[in-house]
Amino acid sequence: MSNEKYLHIIYAVIDEINEQLDKNQRLEKSRDTVLVGQSGKLDSLGMVNFIVGLEQKVEEETGKEISLADQMLNMGNDSPFRTVEWLAQYLSSIVEE
Amino acid sequence: MASDKLRGILLSDFNIQNLAGYLNNNPDEPGVEVKEAPFGQVIPLLVDPNAEIWQKNYDFAVIWTQPESVVPSFQKALNFESVNMTTILGQVDEYTLLLKNIRDKVKTLFVPSWVLPTYHRGWGLLDSKSGFGTCDILMQMNIRLSHNLDDVGHYYVLNTRKWTENSGKAAFNPKMYYMGKIAFANPVFVEAMNDVKAALRAVSGLSKKLIILDLDDTLWGGIVGDLGWENIRLGGHDPTGEAFVDFQKALKSFTNRGLLLGIVSKNEEDIAFDAINKHPEMALRQDDFAGWRINWQDKAQNIVDLVRDLNLGLQSVVFIDDNPVERARVREALPEVLVPEWPADKMLYKSSLLSLNCFDTPGVSQEDLARSKMYVSERKRKDLKDEVSSLNDWLATLEMKVEVNELNAVDLSRTAQLLNKTNQMNLSTRRMTEQELLDWAGQPGRKLWTFRVFDKFGDSGLTGIASINIKNKEARIVDFVLSCRVMGRKVEETMLFTVCDFAASAGLEKVTAKYLPTHKNNPCLQFFKDSGLKATTGDLFTWDVKNPYPLPPHINLIKNNGKTDDLP
Repeated sequence: MSNEKYLHIIYAVIDEINEQLDKNQRLEKSRDTVLVGQSGKLDSLGMVNFIVGLEQKVEEETGKEISLADQMLNMGNDSPFRTVEWLAQYLSSIVEE
Repeated sequence: MASDKLRGILLSDFNIQNLAGYLNNNPDEPGVEVKEAPFGQVIPLLVDPNAEIWQKNYDFAVIWTQPESVVPSFQKALNFESVNMTTILGQVDEYTLLLKNIRDKVKTLFVPSWVLPTYHRGWGLLDSKSGFGTCDILMQMNIRLSHNLDDVGHYYVLNTRKWTENSGKAAFNPKMYYMGKIAFANPVFVEAMNDVKAALRAVSGLSKKLIILDLDDTLWGGIVGDLGWENIRLGGHDPTGEAFVDFQKALKSFTNRGLLLGIVSKNEEDIAFDAINKHPEMALRQDDFAGWRINWQDKAQNIVDLVRDLNLGLQSVVFIDDNPVERARVREALPEVLVPEWPADKMLYKSSLLSLNCFDTPGVSQEDLARSKMYVSERKRKDLKDEVSSLNDWLATLEMKVEVNELNAVDLSRTAQLLNKTNQMNLSTRRMTEQELLDWAGQPGRKLWTFRVFDKFGDSGLTGIASINIKNKEARIVDFVLSCRVMGRKVEETMLFTVCDFAASAGLEKVTAKYLPTHKNNPCLQFFKDSGLKATTGDLFTWDVKNPYPLPPHINLIKNNGKTDDLP
């Protein structure tokens, strides 16, 4: 499955999450959107919702159960949540492996 | 109320921020602005009605708890320990007493009922055993909670179980709890948001009151003009025919809760009523409909005309039509009208109707229950009016009686309901809870009368309110409220007569009324301009009580308790 497929999954989750967020906190559906870190818009609760939503959506679309919870604490340069594009690549790698 | 956002506060023993987000972003009426109290502070905040959050006059609060956190003995039940039902219910009583601590601090309180996660099997086979199984214990706790709160008119227990059932397996996600202390998954919060919004519409007087229906392929299958009434698809040994009958029965059942039915259909009226009155399997008959427009005109225009005839607003209407083109037309032309998407499969009509969440009401009065019959009577009155030449001649034929009472406990609920939902004939458009109204009317120097209207066609119910505040020999009319159901039948003049007659007998000098404009109460201004009261400024009207205000000759006024001896 290509990164494009995972981008669509992430965008669908962004749509769901935006329904709960203030206008100025909403995430843009773009490859460059930063999810966590200093310029990220998601607070810790937002991350919980995003991760749980993403796990469910990936399972619905691919039939594969994944766990991203451990990555929530990873704020370093190797965090898969740096940007949407990084996340799509990460999902592709763990689902397809 | 529709244009201003309602302010709400959410209290919970889990993280409820997701619900706050959904509520704040949802575009449906009424708009809300919600904040959440820090989670885990429910009991300390209930114990202290002087806490800062209770000083902010929130329009509504939601207090959502998990059963084991406010009823400690229930945690023992969850641990499969032996528990005493009396102890558990005693703790429910203690919690509900705390909820009542803040009864004067919020205008409306919603308390979601207690549920357990659906994955919790409890005792399994024994889980419904009385006083033993966790399922049974929880049901008893919820019943006790609900009964305990029954006596607080502005407290409502919401059915959380429906939210979790509708969410299915997605209702609970333990990860949400461990990672964010969120007790439910987001589908439950979406369901909760929809129910809270429906409840707020109900308490704000925004509920729908009239269901306007198409006929062909909506109330029955096929085109009656082509097939003839004998051949439409309705009832019989046919799943679809049976589904149409069931849909009609569900619609008819709605008239028992005070909703009105109307017809807007492109058809020949005679042919349509042949089907309605002659087909043996029709559950709905002509007298079940408050009004209709059956012709070949534009449906949007027909809806406007019908709603005007019934003295309702377009915002009270739901329009049901099988035809997506007609639905789109009405949606585009009349955005105030709710036009639900409607399934193509006729067997889903009844379930679609029963799942609409636009009909909630904050209470049910006798007037509500009889509303459908009242409107049918009103239609017959109008038929008579068409036959009689002048207004006065027509009024004389109605044999009207108006019964006046001072505010009493029996009428309190209906009086508050009328005050809060009447827009057109409303002098000051005050909105008050039952308790606020009672407190206001009980102050020295104030009077509040209610008016019931009867005629030879039936009882229109408690349809009028007049209240005064007395100061320096002047009776200032504060509320002058009349349901549109009886407007224009000189009940307005009868209400003024009552006020002026009281003022004269109490030795007062004048009656005044100050009109407070809203975008809907111009009919009230027009009435006062024509009432005979002197307009001292554009919006202040005065009557010198030396001159008796005339009682309309066709009205038989019945005063049940015109107390005049308790003036300040």
